[in-house]
Amino acid sequence: MWRLRTVGHKARGPGIRSEEFKLKRREREKVLRQARRDRHLVSKRLLLHDYDEEEGDEEHTRASVKPASSEQVVEIMCKLQTGGEDKATALRSLRNVLRSPEVHVAFIRLENSVPVLVGLLSGSDAQCRVEAAKCLHQLSHSPCPNVGLACLPATPYLLTYLSGQRGKFTELCLYTLGNLCAESEPVRERLQAQGIVMALVSCIQNHGGSLAVLEAVAFTLSQLLQAREGASKVAPLVLTLGLIPHLVAGLTPDPEFGIGAAIECAWCLHYLASCEVDKSELISQGVVSRCSSLLITLEETVAQGDLQEGLELLIWPLVRCLGNLLASSACENTEECVRDTRVLSALCGFSHRVLQMHPALTKETLWVVNNLTADSPAWCSALLSFGLLPGLLQLLPLSLGINCMVLRIVGNVAHKGSVFSLMLTQGGLLPPLCATLKMADPEVVTLSLEVLYLLVTSSQQAGEEFVKQNGQSVLEMIQYSSDEALRQRAAAIVDLLPQAAADER
Amino acid sequence: MLHCDPAEPEGDVSGSPVDSVRVRGTSSPFTFTPRRIQILGDHELFEDGDIHRHLYLQDLFATVTEDSPTPKVSEFRCHIAGCSLMFSSLDGYEQHYSTLHQHVCSTCRRCFPSRHLLDIHILEWHDSFFQVMAEKQSMYQCLVEGCPSKFSSSNERKDHLIRTHSYPPDFRFDRPRKNKRPKRRKGVVHTDLMDTSEEGAADSGTVLDSWATTHHTHHCEQRQSHPADTGTPTQYSRRVPSSVCFGQGSVRGFRGRREKK
Ligand SMILES: [Zn+2]
Ligand SMILES: [Zn+2]
Ligand SMILES: [Zn+2]
Repeated sequence: MWRLRTVGHKARGPGIRSEEFKLKRREREKVLRQARRDRHLVSKRLLLHDYDEEEGDEEHTRASVKPASSEQVVEIMCKLQTGGEDKATALRSLRNVLRSPEVHVAFIRLENSVPVLVGLLSGSDAQCRVEAAKCLHQLSHSPCPNVGLACLPATPYLLTYLSGQRGKFTELCLYTLGNLCAESEPVRERLQAQGIVMALVSCIQNHGGSLAVLEAVAFTLSQLLQAREGASKVAPLVLTLGLIPHLVAGLTPDPEFGIGAAIECAWCLHYLASCEVDKSELISQGVVSRCSSLLITLEETVAQGDLQEGLELLIWPLVRCLGNLLASSACENTEECVRDTRVLSALCGFSHRVLQMHPALTKETLWVVNNLTADSPAWCSALLSFGLLPGLLQLLPLSLGINCMVLRIVGNVAHKGSVFSLMLTQGGLLPPLCATLKMADPEVVTLSLEVLYLLVTSSQQAGEEFVKQNGQSVLEMIQYSSDEALRQRAAAIVDLLPQAAADER
Repeated sequence: MLHCDPAEPEGDVSGSPVDSVRVRGTSSPFTFTPRRIQILGDHELFEDGDIHRHLYLQDLFATVTEDSPTPKVSEFRCHIAGCSLMFSSLDGYEQHYSTLHQHVCSTCRRCFPSRHLLDIHILEWHDSFFQVMAEKQSMYQCLVEGCPSKFSSSNERKDHLIRTHSYPPDFRFDRPRKNKRPKRRKGVVHTDLMDTSEEGAADSGTVLDSWATTHHTHHCEQRQSHPADTGTPTQYSRRVPSSVCFGQGSVRGFRGRREKK
């Protein structure tokens, strides 16, 4: 049910896994992080699956790829232009040659090469059309931006074919368009002028049941949405053209197909929820409740065993989408927005289950818990009555910003008044709080002092308990800190604490 | 329902508006208010998840991510200015603290970061002859180790500390003594070692921070170099004098004294 079936596993043949794979991954990761900082984080997807299968042994095909030369390209293009020959066969050998990215530039520099290819794409021969599209797909995956730009004359045809009936061919066109979207803003502008968003809508409508097509549509859409101008130019269109119900419906993992389509739909919804648009449409279309209920189901599944392969790829955007919608002004009341209280347990459950593999996801799930509990005594009391406090306290010593989020959550609870503060005290908050007061990160110390202040001002017992645990000495020490803001807070709390017995004599 | 500045996700505790309910008279140093946080798509909090997605899109997705940062227990730090040592475990911290800084008054359990301050505290707070003597002669010792000056009141000492040793006016060594004994009121107002809480919380001790890292290397040499003639008297420098040391630098001092006993 929760199987991840990836589109193509180019780099993941059995032999390639292991050291070489790890090294490649690590290098790639470095590049991606830099790209994100430069605000140009883009990825292309290479669809190998179908047409390698039809040619038989995938391993064999890969092994037989010799580094192609530009002479080969010239030769094949001659055959295609002179005509007579079997054009489909020539195109197939062209696609094979184009598997080597090195010849891409040679191809586009060749006079008339792109027009010939586009001519065959738009021609009447159905087989040639498919083969030409495969060549273009190969070119769209090129790391060289000029190659993608050279393919632009093909986009009107690719968009037209989205309304066709053949699922596989539609997928091919979609992934090619999605790759071209990654190229640059002018390319995306052009595709938008050609009506790509509307074409995606009608594509989903035509291929109602196909999850593979839905995955491809959502991939292409996600490329548009996550781009720099996505928030201003694409998101409003997506909201008004009726794509949301399709994306929400896509959040249903399928026993046969796996979670691929759900992943893409969820990322689209995350991009929509994390940009500055009116979120009321998303909320009224049931995005919050669908995200919550899927998270609850996923957590139940994860609780039965290990975190299955790739499940975090789906959990991650769902968590984000929920978090941002809860923070939006369109969500006036978090209790009304999220009806199913089990989502709180699910989020806390994830925060532990993903901790070792994906600590960043732990922090994000805690962020959502913060958003739930911030303005709502009901969610705060749910947190206490569901017994979720001990689990949260276990996370309190942890770095990477996790402790700050936990401190915010307990601060939210303590802020709700004396009953809550008393329950936090009885739930064992003070001992780990004494430890966070000694931490190096000034933000952690500040938040700890803020929480402590809330506790001792609203609950007599909290103050007594703190003194009993010798917490006073930590505060006294903070008064020797060189950080003035910390000193002031510590001094103010010391004044509030019940005096030690010896002092009263 | 606060919108979060993308540059400052959750680290803006001090910048958030003061909760008006909690402000009583003077401005409270506490600023925490529960709030929902919105995080925009390009915020750094989302970096790891975004990278994970893109590795998946590029077919470099892997279940085993042995490179990913594993969450560790946060580091601890000795908060005492001039020390600021870091520790990877709470045990390491506690050991450091109890051997170097824990000078506990056996009467009232208060902690002092140096033997010198503890001695002064015991004298002024728990010695029954102190008040009597203080009315006849200057009994309030300077808090700076090695400075021979004595004063007739803690306020005078405070002025001295600020002018001569460049103490920040708000540097608060201990809380004010709660005046429960009525006879005290006739004499000098009794404040504990140094209570300056009534003034100067406005400007922050930025120079203090640099003091924390620089002073302890010089403290020994400069001990005697400061009768009241140095510096303009009215100018209250934010710099804590190099002759004050609570941290590592005073280890020698402590040990020497202890061995004598
Ligand atoms: Zn220290
Ligand atoms: Zn004492
Ligand atoms: Zn002096």
